Amino acid sequence: MIGMIMFGAALVMLMLGFPVAFTFGGVALFFGIYAEGMDLFAFMPFRIMSVMQNTVLMAVPLFIFMGVVLQRTRLAEQLLTSMGRLFGGLPGGLAISTILVGALLAASTGVVGASVVAMGLISLPVMLAHKYDKRLATGTICASGTLGQIVPPSIILIILGDVLGLPVGDLFKAAVMPGVVLIGLYIAYILIMTRFKPETAPAMPKEDEGNSRGKEILDALLAIIPPLALIVVVLGSIFTGIATPTESSALGGVGAVVLAIIYRQFSFKMVWDASKDTVKVTAMVFAILIGATAFSMVFSYTGGDYLLEDWLMMLPGEQWGFIILAMLVILVLGFFIDFVEISFIIVPILAPVAESMGINMLWFAILIAMNLQTSFLTPPFGFSLFYLKGVAPPEVRTLDIYKGIIPFILLQILVLALIVIFPEWFGMSATY
Amino acid sequence: MRWIIKLDEGLGWLSKFCGWIACVAMILMAANVFYDVVMRYAFNDVSIGMQEMEWHLYSVVFLMGIPYALRTDGHVRVDVFYTRWSNKTKAWINIGGALLFVIPFAYLIGFYGYGFAVDAYQMGEGSGDPGGLPHRWIIKSVIPFSAIFIATAGVNMVTHAIRVLAGDKEYEGEHSAGGLA
Amino acid sequence: TQALAQERFTLRLAETWGPNFPIFGDTTKRFAENVEKMSDGRLRIRIDSANKHKAPLGVFDMVKAGQYDMGHSASYYWKGKVPETLFFTSMPFGMIATEQYAWFYHGGGMELMQEVYEPHNMLSFPGGNTGVQMGGWFRKEINSLEDLQGLKMRIPGFAGEVFAEVGVNPTNIAPGELYTALERNTIDAVEWVGPALDLRLGFQQIADYYYTGWHEPATELQFLINKDSWEELPADLQEIMRVAMRASAYDMLIQSQHANAEAWASIKEEYPNVQIKQFPDDVFDAMYAANKKLLDEAAAESDMAAKIIKSQEEYKEKSRAYTDISERAYLNTMAEVE
Ligand code: NA
Ligand code: NA
Repeated sequence: MIGMIMFGAALVMLMLGFPVAFTFGGVALFFGIYAEGMDLFAFMPFRIMSVMQNTVLMAVPLFIFMGVVLQRTRLAEQLLTSMGRLFGGLPGGLAISTILVGALLAASTGVVGASVVAMGLISLPVMLAHKYDKRLATGTICASGTLGQIVPPSIILIILGDVLGLPVGDLFKAAVMPGVVLIGLYIAYILIMTRFKPETAPAMPKEDEGNSRGKEILDALLAIIPPLALIVVVLGSIFTGIATPTESSALGGVGAVVLAIIYRQFSFKMVWDASKDTVKVTAMVFAILIGATAFSMVFSYTGGDYLLEDWLMMLPGEQWGFIILAMLVILVLGFFIDFVEISFIIVPILAPVAESMGINMLWFAILIAMNLQTSFLTPPFGFSLFYLKGVAPPEVRTLDIYKGIIPFILLQILVLALIVIFPEWFGMSATY
Repeated sequence: MRWIIKLDEGLGWLSKFCGWIACVAMILMAANVFYDVVMRYAFNDVSIGMQEMEWHLYSVVFLMGIPYALRTDGHVRVDVFYTRWSNKTKAWINIGGALLFVIPFAYLIGFYGYGFAVDAYQMGEGSGDPGGLPHRWIIKSVIPFSAIFIATAGVNMVTHAIRVLAGDKEYEGEHSAGGLA
Repeated sequence: TQALAQERFTLRLAETWGPNFPIFGDTTKRFAENVEKMSDGRLRIRIDSANKHKAPLGVFDMVKAGQYDMGHSASYYWKGKVPETLFFTSMPFGMIATEQYAWFYHGGGMELMQEVYEPHNMLSFPGGNTGVQMGGWFRKEINSLEDLQGLKMRIPGFAGEVFAEVGVNPTNIAPGELYTALERNTIDAVEWVGPALDLRLGFQQIADYYYTGWHEPATELQFLINKDSWEELPADLQEIMRVAMRASAYDMLIQSQHANAEAWASIKEEYPNVQIKQFPDDVFDAMYAANKKLLDEAAAESDMAAKIIKSQEEYKEKSRAYTDISERAYLNTMAEVE
């Protein structure tokens, strides 16, 4: 029960405004020492070491570096505003461009801290400069930055493959359709929403009144090519096997510097300043990871994992009731616990039950993955929200981000429901 | 008050020094990964030692970056109430958080991290993989070092808050959260 | 003494594996169950998997420091800390499972193992065997030593050093990226365990050549026990532990045989692309020589290593002579008859 009280305490303490990472760590410290004594924290160096040796997370600083360089050289702005111009007088063009760039980044990384922060750096300043509504802007960025969790390659799918004993390749293939549908719905939402509230996402102003529409499109396409080529190189290096997804982020960083040289934006000072920004944001992300690992350590060593297991034993034994309640449980837990804990504590309990009902485990895994990526976005503890807040200018408030994400959470729940009801639309079947 | 200002600036310098180390490690890491990819793909040459160097550098980036981000107020805060509060209230929150959360947390990590690194040193631990890096105690000892600097950055939060309480400094401007984007 | 006999104990065990990792994880669960039943509930084992302690390769240190009373892992993971621990898992061109168990329990292996772990305040016991591990998944066929030159392969530890000696480029890839790396030819080959565990990672979908094993002919896991925790137990519970560890090790060996047979049958049926291959003779000759050279180097560096290598070599020679006229002779006969 201590684990549950600890969540409440953390929530209250967070509201005081002390840095999130150290609030998690500090609250864990008090509850941990109270329940288990000081020596519980002898585990901390091991946990930090496992973050250090988790080379997949290396993508975080590397992608952030790429984002910072693209932002400092204004290449990101050029990419997004030109893409936005392609939409002509249509409002919401920047938001749609953001979603598309996010989808491309999602296909090259599966680490959420990397893509949300990179997307935040690349597109938040541009959207704010073009008078976008703060909520719409931050919601779009968080949602598209989190796409990396469902669009393969993705850490969630790899972990689920491990826990459920499913081949990773099958999971990757099965996740493509849901990812594409989600991206499509995000875009559709922007199009519909901006039709009714165009002031939240103003259309891009014409570059030059005298230019014909054709010339404008040509200009925009020419401006898009270099930064887009960079992202294509990053993706291409994965598909051709030149680099692993993690390594591809280094190609992105180096490539961004090369672009800067081509555009005569390069200086050693620029690289040094970009590196300073990268260190600062990377530290923010990893401090949260370390604070959260202390938190989940105290949670599980004080019996929180056993308590959850007991609760799960009460789920109904009939297929539809089981699926719906299991999804609800994961969704609600996702508000509070991080996805790795859910994958390792909850999924092993649900899996044998699902299997005994003859449920197709691949389908079940995709449902869980969709559900878990939502957990990055759900307030109060959605990590994507913290990460974006960490790079946002002070006038963007935590509450703006919390409110901005709600429509996207609803869209995700909608897709989840669609996969539950119409698995065949996504190339799957519910049972064997 | 004069010595507080001196202390504050001294501690601030320490955190910035950590940031300097992290920045160098950051650039080296990007170069390291890039080099490894090129060598493997173009020259079919792989060095496990160089591959391990990647995560050694990446660890330095975030472990040394955390104290630096504390000094530059780069750690994300939930600002539902925080931005509305006066400098005085903010100062007290930061003093309380530094003394109750940051310093004790850093103390425990430093205390156990020290034993962790010493153990590796005494066993002469190294990589078990072909061509891997020896002397694992070096990278393990970055954990207690990071903890020491996090603790000093915590003290730094207190000295800075005292300066704010004394009216010598303000939280706006230099010390606003994030704002990179 | 009646009160003492009723005293209850709980030992906390940290395993290197994740929560429902097949075969390896079943071994600790069976062990815990047996201990509890045999002791009538006086001794309980609480298992923490890697997701809980988050330190799969920190089991040695955590048991040493007493943060956990016990561990379940593999001895060769500690090679970077204590080089002599390498020899108690399985050695290239070494003994097969029956021979190695005989060495442990009747040929002096256990005594040597305790001698290595004693300075670290721990006891080590055999903890289950995978049987002969497969030599790995290759995307190209290996027809000569030449084909191995510059080949990028995920192969850690001592076997990786042997491969490196014959021209292979051992390469580090995060486990989560292994599948993609092999699929996209970022690397050319992957060594994992055997059909039952490899099947889960899906290598059969992307690699056609499955090579037979030579580098780990009898991979033995280990139970690690903190000496202070062990000495707190009364003699009867210690004996229950010994018996339960031995029984669960045996259970793992036969479960591995069973699960691998099942998995291999399903690979054969569902993935006709997969071909079983054996390295050509020149490759084996080179690897045998490389292995010998590395062992000589290890023996020159440490007296303890020299002692263990000598014991293993002598025992292998003696027991192999008998294996030759028993199991091998029988299998040869069968091969001719069927
Ligand atoms: Na992804
Ligand atoms: Na959440």
